[in-house]
Amino acid sequence: MKKKWVLFFALVIALFTGATMTGTTAHAASDDSLAQVQKKGTLVMGTSPDYPPYEFQATVHGKTKVVGMDVAVGEKIAKDLGVKLEVKSMSFDSLLVALQTGKVDMVISGMNPTPARKKNVDFTHTYYQGGYSIVINKADKGIYKNKDSFKGKTIGAQTGSTMYNESKKQTTDTTVKGMTSVSDLILGLQSHKLQGVAMEKPSAEAYVSNNKELASIPSDFDLSASDTSASVAFKKGSTSLVAAANKSVDQIKKQNLVNKDYLPAAGKYLKTNTVNTSMLHYWKAFLKGVEYTLIITVCSVFFGFILGVLLALARMAQGGPLMTGLRWLATAYVEFIRGTPMMVQVMFVYFGLGLVVNLPALMSGIIAISLNSGAYVAEYIRGGINSVDKGQTEAARSLGMSRGYTMRYVVLPQALKNIWPSLGNEFITLIKDSSIVSIIGVSELIFQSNIVRSDTYRGVAPIAVIMVLYFILTFTASRILNFFERRMQHD
Amino acid sequence: MTKPIIEVKNLAKNFGDNVVLKNITEQVNPGQVIVVIGPSGGGKSTFLRCLNLLETPTSGEVDFNGENLTTLDPKRVNELREQMGMVFQNFNLFPNMTVLENIKLAPMKVKGIDDTTAPKRAHELLKQVNLDDHADAFPGSLSGGQAQRVAIARALAMDPKVMLFDEPTSALDPEMVGEVLNVMKELANQGMTMVVVTHEMGFAKSVADRVWFMADGFIQENNTPESFFSDPQTERAQDFLSKILM
Repeated sequence: MKKKWVLFFALVIALFTGATMTGTTAHAASDDSLAQVQKKGTLVMGTSPDYPPYEFQATVHGKTKVVGMDVAVGEKIAKDLGVKLEVKSMSFDSLLVALQTGKVDMVISGMNPTPARKKNVDFTHTYYQGGYSIVINKADKGIYKNKDSFKGKTIGAQTGSTMYNESKKQTTDTTVKGMTSVSDLILGLQSHKLQGVAMEKPSAEAYVSNNKELASIPSDFDLSASDTSASVAFKKGSTSLVAAANKSVDQIKKQNLVNKDYLPAAGKYLKTNTVNTSMLHYWKAFLKGVEYTLIITVCSVFFGFILGVLLALARMAQGGPLMTGLRWLATAYVEFIRGTPMMVQVMFVYFGLGLVVNLPALMSGIIAISLNSGAYVAEYIRGGINSVDKGQTEAARSLGMSRGYTMRYVVLPQALKNIWPSLGNEFITLIKDSSIVSIIGVSELIFQSNIVRSDTYRGVAPIAVIMVLYFILTFTASRILNFFERRMQHD
Repeated sequence: MTKPIIEVKNLAKNFGDNVVLKNITEQVNPGQVIVVIGPSGGGKSTFLRCLNLLETPTSGEVDFNGENLTTLDPKRVNELREQMGMVFQNFNLFPNMTVLENIKLAPMKVKGIDDTTAPKRAHELLKQVNLDDHADAFPGSLSGGQAQRVAIARALAMDPKVMLFDEPTSALDPEMVGEVLNVMKELANQGMTMVVVTHEMGFAKSVADRVWFMADGFIQENNTPESFFSDPQTERAQDFLSKILM
């Protein structure tokens, strides 16, 4: 038994190092980054669109799109390179990973070129020099003056951001709480879970001007220039691309385009954004969420079921060494999948597998969830097969039916009927668990609701809406499942 | 002398340390009706199940029509199993299929008979066991006697050369035993080769060509029913017969 595990871990480690090595060889390859981008004709920009006025979602002529000064910077770079810009949204934490694994060509997301980041990616010159502010509730305006006023209190900052690290470093006796999205932080502030939220000055001003309950105070953080500046990040070693982008960035700086054009333009979107914040106005965004949630769930259930049947059969394989090996492999798979979080699996498929083949986020999500669901379904099916009376197999075999036919025509249909309620449960769980793929930027319900939240500056209403939507989905699904369950009752 | 259809040579079967069958050598000729009787736990069912390899013998051989089942590849064993119908104590009908579907499944999937011929044949068999009006019923709605008759029809649908019966009436209410035994008698009259494990002494007396008395893992006595019931040769058989109500 022990030996088996050693072997198993060796396999896993081999898999990981294999993946890393492919990554490094890709790096070491001669720099044709610029030529490649020009060849494919598009420049893919990764950004976390919950950070107005840098980047955020706005409804333009009934269509939701990412706007903001960073997008304007991205457009300028793309235009100067003579290619089309494509904007990919994902959480801030995932941006650099996406860059390293080639999911995006560049990252523009109000990102500071810190020394730590510079080790992993290449930055252009800075295109914007900002500063930090702390957003507080207007009612507390007299109490807090700067970062030092929060002794015994809690400050929030976006996880993985410079503000988060600096808040931790430069405050004493202050709890620093990290959250993924700024709209969550603002919600935390308004519900008094946080007393202040550290963010970049332009963002702070955007929030304050859009919400009368909020006020902004200077942070007084001691910062080097690189901590408050924003740069465009490229994959390590793409010198030619960085050089090309620097030309655009230098122009932006020279002509003061950010302050003159980009910021005012972004401000206009912010205004149109707050005109109509009713949830009904965003029905298209929610509909898209429902659509993707359904696509992910239905595909994953389908492939997960097929995989589950195969795994269950493999786990029950008997015979020579080949069958024993098959059984062992299937058992190891099921144990491994059940023993690791689905979120990690989703990230591994998207980013890890991304080093070998570049899969789109939606497909990665479906693959990851199918792989996960297959392991659980396999166990249900195995239990279902064991629950079918041995006499059924004997009767079928005595009629001359082969092992395979017996399984297919006699045992599996009965097993399926026995485990139908469990399978239904799995289906409904999948509808809900599909929300995990929001971390890799698939626009399913959770992802869409986050967009609506940062769009409207309303924290709770979108959550309530998707809660109802999820319930409608799961309730409908369970009605349909019950219908089929009744149809299978014969005795 | 006719060639035996089933020939058992030095058959033995252990379940772990538990010795169930010891060194059995017997044969069944075409057209013969063999009734295997004996005390419970004597290995009767295991013996019967070794004949179509539902149990794998520990040693010895089982020949069907001259082919040694224990050395054949699984595919050939499947083909030979078609020719040995089996009826179980608990019917083992497929509960998710109608009576008709139960009967036509194996002929269609194994023999490749089409969906117009197979049901026709199934209806004929159902008429033979007096159940044609239940063709579309599900097994759950049948009485034990009806279910067992369907099971017999299902086995017959493969046109077997031999029928094996494993205590076909033991799970039935007493008033239903007769209807099943009648079907079996009729089958015997038609010349079917049968090996029947049963406690129905009346059936053994009136239908069997030979009675095999089995106890402690081997066949203690192989006799005609007349001599076996009136003048058993072994002490074990005498003891057994004295204990059952005749």
